[in-house]
Amino acid sequence: MLTELWNRLTYLFRRNRFETELDAELQFHLESRADELYAAGMSRREARAQARRELGSAAHIQEETRSAWQFRWLEDLHADLRYAVRGLRRNPAFAATAIACLALAIGANTTIFSLTTEVLFSQPSVRDADSLVSIRVGGSSHATQAAWRFLYGAKIFDGIAGENEESETNWRHGDVSERLFVVRVTDNFFAVTGIPLAAGRPIEPGAPGVVISHRLWQRRFSGDPAALGASMLLDGKLYSVVGILPRDHRTVTGFGFSPDLYAPTADPKTRVALFARLPEGVDRAAVQARLDAVYRQFDVQNRTPSEVSAAAGLERVSSQKLFSVAAFFGMLLAVAGLVLLIACANVASLLLARASSRVQEIAIRLSIGAGRGRLIRQLLAESLLLAMCATAAGLSINLVITSMLSRIRLPLPLPLQFTIEPDWRLLAYASTLAIGTCLFAGLLPAFRATRILVPQARQVGRGSTLRGVLVAVQVAVSVVLLSAGLLFLRNLIRASSTNPGFDVHQTIWSRMTLVSETRSREVAAAGLDLLRALPGVDSAAAARVVPLNGNITNGLSIRTDRGASSVHVLFRMNYVTPDYFRVMQIRIRAGREFQPHDRDVAIINEAMAQRLFGNSDPIGRTMTWDAGTIRVVGVAANSKYFTLGEQDMPAYYAPYDTTPGARAAVDFLIRAVGRPEPLVPEISRRLGELDRTAAVETKPMSQALAFALLPSQVGAAVLGAVGLLGLVLAAVGLYGALLYSVSRRLPEIGVRMALGASPGSVLGLVVRQSAILAGFGSLVGLALAILAVRPLAMFLIPEVHPTDPLTFVLVAVALFAVALAATIGPAVRALRVDPATALRHE
Amino acid sequence: MGERNTPELLPGTLYMLILRTLAAGPMHGYAIAKRVKEASRDDIAIEEGSLYPALNRMLVKGWLKAEWGISDNNRKARFYRLTPEGQKQLEQEAAEFDRMIRAIQLVMRTV
Repeated sequence: MLTELWNRLTYLFRRNRFETELDAELQFHLESRADELYAAGMSRREARAQARRELGSAAHIQEETRSAWQFRWLEDLHADLRYAVRGLRRNPAFAATAIACLALAIGANTTIFSLTTEVLFSQPSVRDADSLVSIRVGGSSHATQAAWRFLYGAKIFDGIAGENEESETNWRHGDVSERLFVVRVTDNFFAVTGIPLAAGRPIEPGAPGVVISHRLWQRRFSGDPAALGASMLLDGKLYSVVGILPRDHRTVTGFGFSPDLYAPTADPKTRVALFARLPEGVDRAAVQARLDAVYRQFDVQNRTPSEVSAAAGLERVSSQKLFSVAAFFGMLLAVAGLVLLIACANVASLLLARASSRVQEIAIRLSIGAGRGRLIRQLLAESLLLAMCATAAGLSINLVITSMLSRIRLPLPLPLQFTIEPDWRLLAYASTLAIGTCLFAGLLPAFRATRILVPQARQVGRGSTLRGVLVAVQVAVSVVLLSAGLLFLRNLIRASSTNPGFDVHQTIWSRMTLVSETRSREVAAAGLDLLRALPGVDSAAAARVVPLNGNITNGLSIRTDRGASSVHVLFRMNYVTPDYFRVMQIRIRAGREFQPHDRDVAIINEAMAQRLFGNSDPIGRTMTWDAGTIRVVGVAANSKYFTLGEQDMPAYYAPYDTTPGARAAVDFLIRAVGRPEPLVPEISRRLGELDRTAAVETKPMSQALAFALLPSQVGAAVLGAVGLLGLVLAAVGLYGALLYSVSRRLPEIGVRMALGASPGSVLGLVVRQSAILAGFGSLVGLALAILAVRPLAMFLIPEVHPTDPLTFVLVAVALFAVALAATIGPAVRALRVDPATALRHE
Repeated sequence: MGERNTPELLPGTLYMLILRTLAAGPMHGYAIAKRVKEASRDDIAIEEGSLYPALNRMLVKGWLKAEWGISDNNRKARFYRLTPEGQKQLEQEAAEFDRMIRAIQLVMRTV
C-alpha cells in the first residue's frame, strides 16, 4: 500500500520521462512485430502496417497506462485549479472584490477568536493543569496565611500553596524608584504549580529570591543572562534574582494578567488565593468534603462552605461566574460571525452573477457531454481557490493584528498583556471557515449553474430572485450590526461628554507610593508645601479617593438634630485636604471649604443634604451615628464619584487628617494655571526627591479618566468598525445586484425606450428594485435589531437606552443614503441605454 | 486479430500469466506477449491494449521493476523483472487459481 503511494507520488515528478519512455516502448513493440512479420515473408511496408493495426490505438494505450499511475482526482483538481486561476485572472475585479470581502471577514473573525480563546480559555503555565484546583475557603477568594498553614498541615492535598496577585513593590535602582507589579507567593508555590522557567531556579522553601518576568528581564536587564544573581532592592529589602520566566508565561490568575515578578510573601498579613494539587485518584467532590470537615475545626464561626474549583479551562469560566466577560466575547464572536455571513452572501451573489453570465458556456459543455458532477466540481474548485486565497489573506491580517495586540499595553491600572499566538485551534478554525465559505459561496451557484438546460439558457428569473434574497439578508444583518455599533458610539459620546462634576482639563493626579505607610502623613504635608511652591501650580490637595479611580461607599443610619428618626443613607466617602474643592473646581454651594486643623466637621453634597435635611439649611447642623457627632460646615455641588453612570449619589467629605488607618499610597491632586501636561515631569521629579524610595506616578486627570471610558470605547470601536464593514459589504452587494439586473434587462429597457418610455419611468425600474431590496432588508433588520440590542444594556451607561428609537432612525437614514449611492451607478447605466444598440443585440 | 477465435481471458488471470512468464527471467513487453501466446499454443493472446496498462499497474504495485536494456534484435527495449513481492504475489495467485480450478472441476464432474 505504501510502496504504491510512493510510486504514484514519484510519478508526479517524472511525468515527462514517463511519456517518452512509453513512446519508446510502444515503438519497440511495433518494430519487433514488424521484424517478425517481415521474416515471415511480408514486405516491409505491409509488415509495418500490419503491426500498427494489431497494436490498435496507441493513444488509447497511453491513456490507459497513464491512468495506472495517476491519482485521478488529484489530476482533475489540478486541472480545475489551473482553469480557475485562469478564470480569475481574466476577471481581476471580481477576484479582488471576492477575496477582499472574505479576507476582511475572516481576518476579523480569527482575530476575535484568537482574543476570545486567549482571554477565556488559555491554560495557565503550570504542570498538569487538570489536577490543579483553586480553593476558596469559607467562600472568600483570599485566605489568611494562618488558614493556609493550617490546611498545609492537614495534608488533604498533594501540596497547597498561596499567592497574592494584587501587590505592588517599589524597586530602587540608581536614583530612581520604580513601581512594579508583584505576585507574592508562599515558598512552596512554584513546587506545587510547577510553573516552567526559562532560566534559573524557582523560589523554594528555604531558598528565597525573586523570579522576574521575561518583559522585565528584557526591559531592565536588556535580556542579559547575568541578570540571574543580580540583586534588587525592593521596598528597602535586598533580594537576588534567581529565575526568569519564559516569554509566554501565563499566570494562574489568567485574563492576560502579567506581573513584573514573583517574590516571597513579605508581610504575614498578606492574604493569599489558594491553589492545590489533587492527590492522585481523588476527585474534587471527595476533596471538597474533607476540606469542609477540616476547615470547620480551624474556623468555627464561619459556616460558609468552601469551594474547590478548576484552576483552568472552560470550567474556570463557569465556576468563577465570569459570565459578563464571556457574554462580551460571545457578542464579539457573534458580530464577527454575522460579518462573515454578509461576506459569504456577497461572494455567493458575485459567484451567482458570474455563473449566470457563463450559462451559455456551461450549456455548451453539458451538451457536448461534460458530466454534471464534473462541472460542479470545476465550479467548486473556483470557489475553493477563492476561499484559500481569502483565508491566507485573512490569516495574515489576523497575524498582523494579534502581534500588535500582543505588544500594546492597555491603559489600565493593571498589568494586562495578551500572549496571542496562532495555534492549532486557530488554524483549524480558519480552515473550517475557508471550507464553510467555499461550500456556502460555491455550491449554491454551482448547482444553479448546471441545472439550466440548453433551451432555457437565457432564462434569468430564479437566479435574480436568489440574489435579491441574498442582498436583503446582507442589508438586514448590517442593520443589526450598525444599530449595535451606533448604540456603543452614542454611549461613548454620552459618557465622554458627561460632565463628571469636576474639572479634568487643568487637573493633574500624582500618586506617590511609599515603602512603608508610617510616614505617609508627613509626606503628604511636605508634598503639598512643595507643590504649592511650584511655578505654574494654582493649588494642590491630597485626597484618599481619586474620583472615578477608586471608591469608598458607606451605608449608615444617621440621625440629625433636625428630626428624631434616623435615615439610612448609602453614600460615597472621601477624605480631602483644604483646597480640594478649589483644585477640582467643585462648587461650594453653601458654607465653607475645609480649613487646616478642622476636626469633627464635614462637607456633604447637595444630594446628601437633600436626603438628610430636606429643604432646610444644613450649615451648622449635626449628624450623629455610632462614631460620634459631626457638624456640617459646607455643602458641595453633586459630581460623579465612582462611575460616570451613577446618578446624583450622596457624598460625604471629611478632613484628610481624620483618614482612618494608614496607606502607603498618597494621592495628590494639583490644579495647573495653564495646560497640565508641561507640569507633569517636573511634579514627578520634585516629589521623587522628597523620598527616593517612593515610586511616583503622575498624569493629567483627563488621562486617568480613560479607564472609566474603556468599555464604551472598545465596544464602539469594534462594533462600529464591524458595522461599517458590514454596511460597505452590503452596499457592494446591492450595487452588484442592481447593476447585474440592469445589464440583464438592457434589451427590455431598449424596447421600452423604443416604445416611448420616459427616462423617468426607466429610472423608476431601477429605483423600484433597489427600494424593494433595501426596504425589505432594513425592515427585517430593524425588527431583528430591536430584539438583538436589548441584552446590550449591561454594557451601557443608564442614560443610553438600547431601544431608543433615535438609534434606529439614524441607522435607517444611513442605510437609505448608502442604498441611494449604490443605485446611482446602475440607474445611470440604465438611462444611457441606446434603444438602437440594445435592440440590435436582441 | 479480431477474426481469430481466441477464448476470452479468464478475468483476473492476466497479472498471474505475466508474473508466471517473468518468473523465468527478465523480459520485455513484446516477448511476454509472444511467450504467453506460444505457451498456450496460440489459445491465449494478450492484447497490447491491455498488456502495457497491466504492466504499469504492476509497476505501481511494486511487483515488477523495469530497466532499459538491449534486446535480441539489437534494439533498446524495456525489460521487466519480478521483485520479491511479485514472486510472493505469483505464488499466492497461482495457489488460489489452482484451488478455484479444482473446485470448478469438482462441481463439473459431480453434478
